[in-house]
Amino acid sequence: MISLSNEIALFKKTDMEAITKRVQQFINNGELTLPADYSPENAMKSAWLMLQETVDRDKRPALQVCTRESVYNALLGMAVQGLNPDKKQCYFIVYGKKLMCQRSYFGSMHVAKMVDPDIVDIYAQTVYADDEFEYEIRHGKEVVTKHVQKLQNIQPDKIIGAYATIVYKDGRELSTVMTFDQIKQAWKQSQMKPVDDKGNIKAGSTHDKFTADMCEKTVINKACKYVINSSSDKSIVGRFAREMDAELKEAEIDQEITDNANQEFIDIDYTVTDATEATTDPEPEPAQEPPADDDPGY
Amino acid sequence: MILRVLGSSSHGNCYILERGEQALLIECGVSWKEIQQGLDFNLSRVGACLISHEHKDHSKSAREVMQAGINVYCSPGTAEALGISSHRLHTVPPLKQFTVGDFIVLPFPVEHDCAEPYGYLIYCRSTGEKLLFATDTYYIRHRFSGLNYIMVECNHCGDVLKAYVEEGTMAVPRKNRLLESHFSLEHCKEFLQVNVTTDTRKIILLHLSDDNSDAERMVREITDLTGIDTEVAEPGKVIELVLYPY
Repeated sequence: MISLSNEIALFKKTDMEAITKRVQQFINNGELTLPADYSPENAMKSAWLMLQETVDRDKRPALQVCTRESVYNALLGMAVQGLNPDKKQCYFIVYGKKLMCQRSYFGSMHVAKMVDPDIVDIYAQTVYADDEFEYEIRHGKEVVTKHVQKLQNIQPDKIIGAYATIVYKDGRELSTVMTFDQIKQAWKQSQMKPVDDKGNIKAGSTHDKFTADMCEKTVINKACKYVINSSSDKSIVGRFAREMDAELKEAEIDQEITDNANQEFIDIDYTVTDATEATTDPEPEPAQEPPADDDPGY
Repeated sequence: MILRVLGSSSHGNCYILERGEQALLIECGVSWKEIQQGLDFNLSRVGACLISHEHKDHSKSAREVMQAGINVYCSPGTAEALGISSHRLHTVPPLKQFTVGDFIVLPFPVEHDCAEPYGYLIYCRSTGEKLLFATDTYYIRHRFSGLNYIMVECNHCGDVLKAYVEEGTMAVPRKNRLLESHFSLEHCKEFLQVNVTTDTRKIILLHLSDDNSDAERMVREITDLTGIDTEVAEPGKVIELVLYPY
């Protein structure tokens, strides 16, 4: 008898050696330089332990539902980006039969530093209504010039925005500034749906309890995304990071469609009367407005 | 009924649904001149114009349509985004049906990157025919029964997008935007699997992307899946919608 779990090829512990070898190949070919303190083997062992605990939405073990290919890709992506799940730089999520490795904001900072070795630090701050806060746009990039905060300004209901600053070896500092509305818009896209359609943060959610921390994570992610997405295709780390993000996005959309599509049945009410009937008037009315707003009129 | 296609792509969308002497205009995203020509300058038979959302390729002639005395129906969000106002403008809440001559129309929300997009379920009272119109949506929350004609977007093939990204001719954000706003062949097929019944006579595929679709393959795969006569809406096409084609 063939059990259900045999229908797809499942990942085995021995497959991890193949991944380690592949990473070593990248290193030997000069395509990849991992941080000196990063051991792909150790990261892989941590991931393996973590995968034993990872379950899908129906609480089935990830390693019993995910395809061998998806686990291989998730772990290879993790190792090439020098990520360690023990350091909470990434975590694993199951979408259908696919295992995905998702970077945390720690992980994104780490990868940004890998793809641009001139980066020495990345930090974020929340801006409150009573803060003195100024920034300039220099060569199309935001540069925070002043941020003075008093302790009494720090009140969760007075957040007006947040910024992340990337500090380079030569002392340059570039920032990414987001208004609170922009941050909430980003949260609306999140799978956790911490913000409703009207822009209210869900009471009791992590975003509600630790709003400033979450704002800082969001703006750091945005700043790092820019560094990662603008890195050269020659950088294998950047390429893997971008591919992983694209696959994750695709899996999220597929999941959303599976969850929401073709659900509630609707139909015409055939018992309708003519009370709501629209009238037609064959007489054209005089023009009251300009013909079209995309017509410049000259 | 007869369906005249004036446009069905990001260059402009407009369809005329005719039943006897009555007509419904679905979308007005082509020039007013083209709409007048499509109606053979006989505007008085148009009971209403239904607009799905505010993007110009679906709405650009809304003002002229209203000025010509045609009632426009759309969601409150679409009207606000278009910035239009007129006694000819009827904003209708979702899932609240209205009647236009021989037609009963049920607007339902769809999923697109705009204010408040609608699809429309259209029922012809005198013949009992039911037509679904849904475009610019990456999935549809609702499901339907007894659809005779299904006009649905089939914008791109997922594997074509993937290949373009891999060869570097398409940027990832553009791919993501398409995935989150337009119906792919794969998801369109899932939709049709749920909604095609023995009542279904015709499937009309709308809004195919210029670069990321493959009309022949889409028609073939959907015909194979559903067994229903399927064709692509192309400008100038006149499609007969008949309950008993035999």
